[in-house]
Amino acid sequence: MARLELRDVVKSYGIYEAVRGIDLEIEDKEFVVFVGPSGCGKSTTLRMIAGLEHITAGEIVIGGQVVNRLGPGKRDIAMVFQNYALYPHMSVRENISFCLEQQRLSKSEIASRIVRAAETLHIEELLDRRPGQLSGGQRQRVAMGRAIVRNPKVFLFDEPLSNLDAKLRVQMRTEIKRLHQILPTTTVYVTHDQVEAMTMADRVVVMKDGLIEQAGPPQVLYHRPASRFVAGFIGSPAMNFLDARLEAEADGLSVRLADGRSLPVPPGRLCAYASHAGRAVTLGLRPEALSVRQDRLGFAKLDADVELVEPLGPATMIYFTLAGAALCASIDPEAAPKAGQSLPLSVNMNQMHLFDADTGLSLLK
Amino acid sequence: MERIRRIPAQQPLSERLSFWGFALAGLVAALIFLMPVVWSLANSFKPAAEALAHPAALFSKSFSLENYRRLEGVGAGWYVYATNSVLIALGTVALTILVAVPAGYGFSKFRFPGQSALFMIVMATMMIPFQSILTPLFLILKFLKLQNSLTGLVLIYVTFQLPFSIFMMRNAFDAVPRALIEAARIDGASQATILRRIMLPIALPGVATVAMFAFLNSWNEFLAALIFLSDQNKFTLPIMLVNVSSGIYGIIDWGALQAGIAVTMLPCILLFLALQRYYVRGLTAGAVK
Repeated sequence: MARLELRDVVKSYGIYEAVRGIDLEIEDKEFVVFVGPSGCGKSTTLRMIAGLEHITAGEIVIGGQVVNRLGPGKRDIAMVFQNYALYPHMSVRENISFCLEQQRLSKSEIASRIVRAAETLHIEELLDRRPGQLSGGQRQRVAMGRAIVRNPKVFLFDEPLSNLDAKLRVQMRTEIKRLHQILPTTTVYVTHDQVEAMTMADRVVVMKDGLIEQAGPPQVLYHRPASRFVAGFIGSPAMNFLDARLEAEADGLSVRLADGRSLPVPPGRLCAYASHAGRAVTLGLRPEALSVRQDRLGFAKLDADVELVEPLGPATMIYFTLAGAALCASIDPEAAPKAGQSLPLSVNMNQMHLFDADTGLSLLK
Repeated sequence: MERIRRIPAQQPLSERLSFWGFALAGLVAALIFLMPVVWSLANSFKPAAEALAHPAALFSKSFSLENYRRLEGVGAGWYVYATNSVLIALGTVALTILVAVPAGYGFSKFRFPGQSALFMIVMATMMIPFQSILTPLFLILKFLKLQNSLTGLVLIYVTFQLPFSIFMMRNAFDAVPRALIEAARIDGASQATILRRIMLPIALPGVATVAMFAFLNSWNEFLAALIFLSDQNKFTLPIMLVNVSSGIYGIIDWGALQAGIAVTMLPCILLFLALQRYYVRGLTAGAVK
């Protein structure tokens, strides 16, 4: 168990900078998830922590020790790979014991640790099988067994669930969380799936173009995204974006959309946005901020010509076009219209987000 | 067998006919290739008088080991030549594997300056006709005081075996996912341990292929053995065969020659049968993901 620090870490391949200076402190026992689109540098960062990639500049500190020059085997870390990376010619038992043999532990110690790990992951009956005889979920468990058997300072997960089917993915997600509760160890988990990030993390780190876009607890990222990129990446279905202009009115502020429609800024947000009046902005509205018409303070009105209806069970998604932008609203299934119908909607402006049209940064400080 | 029985029963007539046509053509081709081997073996067990009998018969009524006994009288005796051949072949196999495995691993999994150029140069040596450099090779062996020695010949064979073997091993290691090496590195394994305990067992078909080619080529090689060895006690089986075929007064002893051929080809056939499963897998390694 240990604290992990990244200090201005850079990784270049020739002139291409994959990671452009990352500063991050991960507390002992914290579960941090790196999330972002392909090529954002999240896997490279993980591999640098593991020691599988040399770092071009900066420092990586594990448990107070700078590990820049230490090989992967000496960093006291364990990693679960995307394709499991189990040794195909060895039995599950041999796969799990391999790392312990490298540490030259006694045979009795190795045996007892294997039993403990197997019990934790419920793989006792698989110990004498080869990886080729296991299902995807079982292989994933064995890969985790290989990681936990060493009692490492840091666990690293590199998109471990992306090869599993949807149902198994949800199940293994819960198992990894359960495992972290049983064995609270500093964990860095990389994924491109924002649902995994939101459900598992103590803290989510959103990366883009080799930089950290925002780091924080899942709820903070969801409700207070620092940029349009984070707002669009976190949440499913994604946030709706509309080009607009923030205008000063006699009695406050309003957001004027491209089609001339004006949505009033609620009194609670006036202070925060007052200094930005007159600027081109992007209005961000999550699908759940749009609901079937209700007259409440801070709610704006609009009519939607429904183009597509997606019943999901607990909620129904409706898709329509407003001011030239495709929008999605999450509404009560009881009130769901049919495609082609018109539906009066309310917009909860208390949940609105405004981003600078040029920089994409949130106007909320 | 299960497959052969099932397929014709389930398919329409035209497909059944084409299946049996294919099987028949395969059988005929196999018989054509098998015939010289059978002929040679059958002749080696015939009494000397029958070996040249007219009309020729494939099998004789009388069984005789006379031809094999006569082989003992050829030079130092066939078992001396067989021992030399075995020593040379095993030495070539061992040394080839010892060099080709780490070299193939290096070319496959490490990146270093000049890597492609170096690999091209190694491969280019395959283009040099062996006969064209016999003289310099002879001079080098003489300088090293290794002419007329089995060790010298092993070194020559290994040299000519290496480019193909390195190429084979590089392909075999290319087929092993990089993540396995990374997992082993994180597990704390040294490069030597990774090669020995992770990579080598997975790339075993490649090693088997390299071993088989090294064995067959050194076992059957004639010209270098003839030129670099001058002591009769150090000759190999192929040289013995020539001595048998150009017997006393230029008369060819066909029976003894067939016995010699049988002794020479048997280890090759057995080795091939033992390793053929690995051999095919080794050759196709890396061809498809």
